[in-house]
Amino acid sequence: MLGETTFRRPLLLIAVFNIIGYSFLFLSGEAYNWHIAALGTFVTLLICTVCLFIIKRNAGDEYLFLIVSMLLSIGLLVISRLNEGLGIKQFIWVLVGLTLFFSVYFVYIRVSKWERFTYLYIFLPFAFYLITLVLGKNINGAVNWISIGGFTFQPSELSKILFIFFLASYFKQPDMLFLKDSRYSEKTKVIVNRVLLMLVTYLNIGFLVIQRELGTAVLMFLVFLIVLYVYGRDMRTFFLNSALIIPGLLASYALFYHIRVRMEVWIDPWSDITDKGYQITQSLFAIASGGFFGTGIGMGRPDMVPAVTTDFIFAAICEELGVFGGVAVVLLFMLLIYRGIKIILGVKNRFNKILGFGIAVMFGLQTFIIIGGVIKLIPLTGITLPFVSYGGSSLTTSFIALGIMQAISNTDMDEAGGEIYG
Amino acid sequence: MAENKRIIRVMVGLCSLFLALVVYLTFIQLFKSKSLIANTYNRRQVKIEENTARGNIYDRNGVLLAYSEKNGEQQERIYPFGPLYSHVIGYNSKVYGKSLIEAAYNRELLGINEYSQVFGMASSSNYPGRKGDNIYLTIDHELQALGGELLQGRKGAVVAMDPKTGEVLALVSSPSFNPGAKELEKNWQVMVESQDAPFLSRATQGLYPPGSTFKILITAAAIEKGLENEIYNDKGSIVIDEREIRNSAGKAYGEIDLKKALAVSSNVVYAQLGVTLGEGSLKDIAQRAKFGKEIDFDIPVSASRFPHDSMSKTDLAESAIGQGKVLVTPLHMAMITSGIANGGVMMKPLLVKKLEDPDGKTDKDAKSAEFSKIMSKDVSEKIKVMMQEVVVSGTGHNAAIQGINVAGKTGTAENELSVKKKAKEHSWFVGFAPVEDPKIAVAVIVEYGGSGSDTAAIIARNIIKKYLLEQKTSENKN
Repeated sequence: MLGETTFRRPLLLIAVFNIIGYSFLFLSGEAYNWHIAALGTFVTLLICTVCLFIIKRNAGDEYLFLIVSMLLSIGLLVISRLNEGLGIKQFIWVLVGLTLFFSVYFVYIRVSKWERFTYLYIFLPFAFYLITLVLGKNINGAVNWISIGGFTFQPSELSKILFIFFLASYFKQPDMLFLKDSRYSEKTKVIVNRVLLMLVTYLNIGFLVIQRELGTAVLMFLVFLIVLYVYGRDMRTFFLNSALIIPGLLASYALFYHIRVRMEVWIDPWSDITDKGYQITQSLFAIASGGFFGTGIGMGRPDMVPAVTTDFIFAAICEELGVFGGVAVVLLFMLLIYRGIKIILGVKNRFNKILGFGIAVMFGLQTFIIIGGVIKLIPLTGITLPFVSYGGSSLTTSFIALGIMQAISNTDMDEAGGEIYG
Repeated sequence: MAENKRIIRVMVGLCSLFLALVVYLTFIQLFKSKSLIANTYNRRQVKIEENTARGNIYDRNGVLLAYSEKNGEQQERIYPFGPLYSHVIGYNSKVYGKSLIEAAYNRELLGINEYSQVFGMASSSNYPGRKGDNIYLTIDHELQALGGELLQGRKGAVVAMDPKTGEVLALVSSPSFNPGAKELEKNWQVMVESQDAPFLSRATQGLYPPGSTFKILITAAAIEKGLENEIYNDKGSIVIDEREIRNSAGKAYGEIDLKKALAVSSNVVYAQLGVTLGEGSLKDIAQRAKFGKEIDFDIPVSASRFPHDSMSKTDLAESAIGQGKVLVTPLHMAMITSGIANGGVMMKPLLVKKLEDPDGKTDKDAKSAEFSKIMSKDVSEKIKVMMQEVVVSGTGHNAAIQGINVAGKTGTAENELSVKKKAKEHSWFVGFAPVEDPKIAVAVIVEYGGSGSDTAAIIARNIIKKYLLEQKTSENKN
């Protein structure tokens, strides 16, 4: 722990950011908006309380949450500006998320040997996919929501994390997860293990593609590839799977109409600007209209961009807070990844190390995939911006992942197992 | 540990991806944002238009040519001179969009300048009561109005320029149309289908055979080759590769020199000259005069044409008298004439003189710039003398003004109808004055107007006279 002096100023700045932002929203309407004033007060108080709690309780790394609270602040402010009702709903989701964050943090520390539940990590996601396929609700052309008592949830969000748990149990002792006690030769065992690893991975990805969760599928594949690169015993499996990228892309391009549309729109959104290219071009208009310093909160027209509170929130940030605001968000994520990786490098427990690494990589890639899509650097795949986009599933999942990260960063916990391999 | 090394590599990779995002965002902002903001599908533009009083457009002396009036919630664009400027300023319609100056200077008229684009705060579209920049054209309204009057009812174009600065003083295209939004919506279909093509900006986009006016360029090529003192035998007609080329009315001039040949506009002499000079020499002068090249102007200009593949003898002869495959816009012809008047240097044409922000501060002053050096000063001086002779004793006598030395060249261009004797030829005149210190250069074309010396020369004379008189009175006042 670095002590209290190094977090005070950033925390103060976050509080100031919130106070200025919400004051602006409070004053900018025709009448004073007391809902916004209340929301602003609650948000500021909540963030300060949680930060101080983490410091005082010595509950793991104090910077992770500091960085995330700035992202949360930007997200909540922009969502509240776009739609006050959604802002309040999102605040409730933040409360739920924080509850989960702390629960996961404490539970993760209490329970030892998480690798025991390998089969849960394998089969629970499949159960989720099957439930969604049967009970699924079609929202925006993707069948990936389930509704329980008027309460919708996107199970694929949780599958992401369970998949990383699976990877961590597999690579804890690479290629020795399955058939541990069988009589087959060492070589056969390794091959069977690797085949099963790929089978689980591609089944996950396959289900996601069927549900049109393109972004999550790509994300999962890339996380798998990177974990394989770092923790695989040799590079052969890594190269084999990397080599699948191009035929995989070509096959999905040929097979799936919606993937073809995504590619075409990425290459040239202008020729079909009124229909398929509408969303991405509106996003580019918003980004361009903001200039470097933005129009100011409440003064642009980000409401013209479809899905602006969820997938396209980055366009709204760029329009009203400027490209500098957008760059700030990118840099905050960079800091978050940097901090995560820095923590991981010092962790001795191998399962925790792989799990933490997977989570950090997931945050990083998810950010790149959605921001890159929104600014048309890469083809657009619908996925949320962690901690910033509106949405309960995304926010709570991000908080769960952050809770695990926070637990891993707690050095007191890092004595549970010291196996070092490879 | 090997694993930790690889973890760090992955982190560096992720950071590079983030860096790519930052770089690409900056790239969009620096290089793409201008066109993105102006895109017609960007509805922010509509918002800005509703909240902005669109800037006024004036002539060079401050005569109001276009302004916007608030009509309830909507703004209405008003053009006090109706059709006179529809091929210069264009129109601004919700249905049909914007054209010409209204389109090219849309951002300025809406007050979206570079500064507010980079430092976004001021460009917020939600503030009512914004004001756009005013535009001052280089056009002289008096001259433009006279040009419109002189062409009245006929198809054609009048272009006048200041040969030293490239400022366009008059740019008349006829027929024209009423650019008001309501009239436009009412008459659009009729005008699109009309055989008179009122939407064609003849001065800038009409491509015509230059006829004998092209001989001024051939003369330059001949002088450069040292042929100015040659004597030619003009028998009234000549056969080149089985194609007969005749003088106007088949008149024979006997033994004449180049000066006389230009004065009487001898097709026989120039057709021969074309063959003598050859393909290389002809293409060279055409290239220096920027045939086939885009002309950078505030409104769109068609590129003039000169044959670019290999030319037969007939092609050479026909091109030398401005027929065949040679096509030119009236604006370009005025620029070439200005080039000769300006000691061989063709200036870049200017239509917008300055931009002024709502507080009356000048945002941008147009700067004169050299466009191309067509010929040396010596050669241009010699051609000036010869072109003066055209007006004094040759085909251009109708352009003569008492007390002012006018130089010019007529053209009577064959066209698809005149060949079949269904209509008269296009009537051309290009010229400038005063010869000793050129202040104005003009190019006039009247479609199917017959001989250049009758129709076009008289229009050109009136334009030149009016402008020089105007200049004199303003000098006297000062």
